[in-house]
Amino acid sequence: MTKDERSVIRTLGTGVRGFDKVLGGGLPEYSFNLVAGGPGSGKTTLAHQIVFANATGTKPALYFTVLGEPTLKMLRYQRQFSFFDPKVAGAAVQFVNLTEEVMDGDLGAVLEKIVAEVERTKPGIVVVDSFRTIVGRISRSEEEAAFGLDRFIQRLALHLTTWEVTSFLLGEYAEEEQRNPVFTVADGIFWLSQATDRNSVVRKLQVVKVRGSEPMPGLHTFRITNAGLEIFPRIPEQTGSRVTHKRARQSTGVEGLDEMTMGGVVSGDAVMLTGPAGSGKSTIANQFIWAGLEAGETGVIAVFEEYPEEYLARANARDPRVGEMIRAGKLDLIYLRPLDLSVDEALHAILDSVKRLKAKRVVIDSLSGFEVALAPTFREDFRESLYRLVGTLTATGVTVFMTAEVVEGFSDVRFTSQKVSFITDEIIIQRYIEMEGELRRVMAVVKMRGSDHSHEIRTYELTPKGARVGPALTEYDGIMTGVPSLRDKSAAVSAKRDVKQSKPGVLPAKPSAAKRRK
Amino acid sequence: METAQQLANRLLDRETNAGNADTTRASAAARAGEKLYRALSRWIGTDGCHALFTRARAQQLASHEPLDSLQLRPRHEPYIAGAEETIGEYGNDATANAIEAMIVAMIELLGRLIGVDMASNLIEQSLSDFAPDNSVPAKRRARA
Repeated sequence: MTKDERSVIRTLGTGVRGFDKVLGGGLPEYSFNLVAGGPGSGKTTLAHQIVFANATGTKPALYFTVLGEPTLKMLRYQRQFSFFDPKVAGAAVQFVNLTEEVMDGDLGAVLEKIVAEVERTKPGIVVVDSFRTIVGRISRSEEEAAFGLDRFIQRLALHLTTWEVTSFLLGEYAEEEQRNPVFTVADGIFWLSQATDRNSVVRKLQVVKVRGSEPMPGLHTFRITNAGLEIFPRIPEQTGSRVTHKRARQSTGVEGLDEMTMGGVVSGDAVMLTGPAGSGKSTIANQFIWAGLEAGETGVIAVFEEYPEEYLARANARDPRVGEMIRAGKLDLIYLRPLDLSVDEALHAILDSVKRLKAKRVVIDSLSGFEVALAPTFREDFRESLYRLVGTLTATGVTVFMTAEVVEGFSDVRFTSQKVSFITDEIIIQRYIEMEGELRRVMAVVKMRGSDHSHEIRTYELTPKGARVGPALTEYDGIMTGVPSLRDKSAAVSAKRDVKQSKPGVLPAKPSAAKRRK
Repeated sequence: METAQQLANRLLDRETNAGNADTTRASAAARAGEKLYRALSRWIGTDGCHALFTRARAQQLASHEPLDSLQLRPRHEPYIAGAEETIGEYGNDATANAIEAMIVAMIELLGRLIGVDMASNLIEQSLSDFAPDNSVPAKRRARA
């Protein structure tokens, strides 16, 4: 026997998205597991998913039900999930009710019934739902009960392992009950919890232990949808190393902005565009995506502020080819607006899309909307979470273009409201200024890590075809105060004319030396 | 997919053709109901199964008077008690029709609760364990 043959413990796929990754590859075969958690935390659904993913005609699953949720109701609700196949319920998945044996309070009879059914059915998977109910029916003295329970659990674990069964005991346990013997005997302990914070509910899973495997530590958020549980592993899949890329430039699609960035944003960078409401952040973000599509680069837009239909309608109004690009699988529009979102869930949704489309450009529109979409508990560590999200996305080589709304007074210059500028490689700011009695828009490139860039403050306009950058306001002082003043009053007329008449991307002519002398 | 009536007919036919010379339609129906109760109890528990039969009987009582003299006794053998007396009082056909109506109503009710496809599967699978002439599961009988 080789060393490999001795040490191999085969694993079962759980059928639960993200769970295998958390478990370090799957469930060790023939393990004796405990699924613990409060009422409504998803224990029964998790067990059903595992059962339906693994049960076959030759290796069926036995699902023991006890007091608590009546079997009929359980089946009625569980069959609403897409993983529940009514065709195999009754054949590959068999339900056995233990209520009578449990009502008698005789653990021996319960064990006998379980063993008899296992012998008869020869299952690959056994679930006892709820194990806590069995234990709760013991009506002897506490000491006797503890002894009886110890023996019962030992014998049950022994029988099930001997019959080469992977088993799951489900129960409502509290954290302080971890001295219960079942916690000692169990090979795997999975703890499900849900917490309510204001109007949001956040579900989390913790793999407390898995013998023979290396699970991911920490709490992993999960969601229960029509497809069952979907777990979002806290630490995203590591690709081994960051994708290295030649610092190629990617056009922003905005006339004049490429010039300010010395040829476009750097591929694989995290770019942040910040500005007040109505400054055209989404417009520029869309132009960035569209420039990529025209260059043959697929893209993903994660929308947090409006419904995708509205977003798409606006984008289509600007260019009807947007819809075509989505249908052609070159562009994906992800809608992430619930108020109980976790950063991991958002990250996995975006990552899935990036991988599926082999995307080169991602737009997150906007960070402000993203923060609001998060459950309150995750807003507290928004900066840290965003750091992980951006780091994971850029590690794949994709360029992340984020928008962020800033609320600012004329004399108050801020890059972002979220104080997250440290996570970005490039920052472009937009703001309003008052000039000649008009509200004008200006933008500037503030930061491009490892790259030179223009330091000019330039006006820009939002046209039906998108944003167009105009001339630099080289003759003005105090632009960032919001109320610039012309350095040389006599140049006002020509400067104003230049600003209004200049072609986008072309700097206005500097005032002549004669004018300056005046 | 079979209807509740077709499934019930199959159960009754199986008991009628079980080979007992003294089998009447009513006694075959009572045996079918008995086996259905025992088979389904494995899946959904005796209480769950009894709840279904009780509701089915209540639904059919107005149109099938013999059901009033039948007793449903969970955790007892037989589960459907008083069949002979009911036959004596109402006759073979009326009793058989009453029990059959209760079985059909019970299958329909189960179908409404968990879906017709799954209900059919469960009944089909459960009954495959029972020999037509015995209420003890075939495999358990073989072991004995």
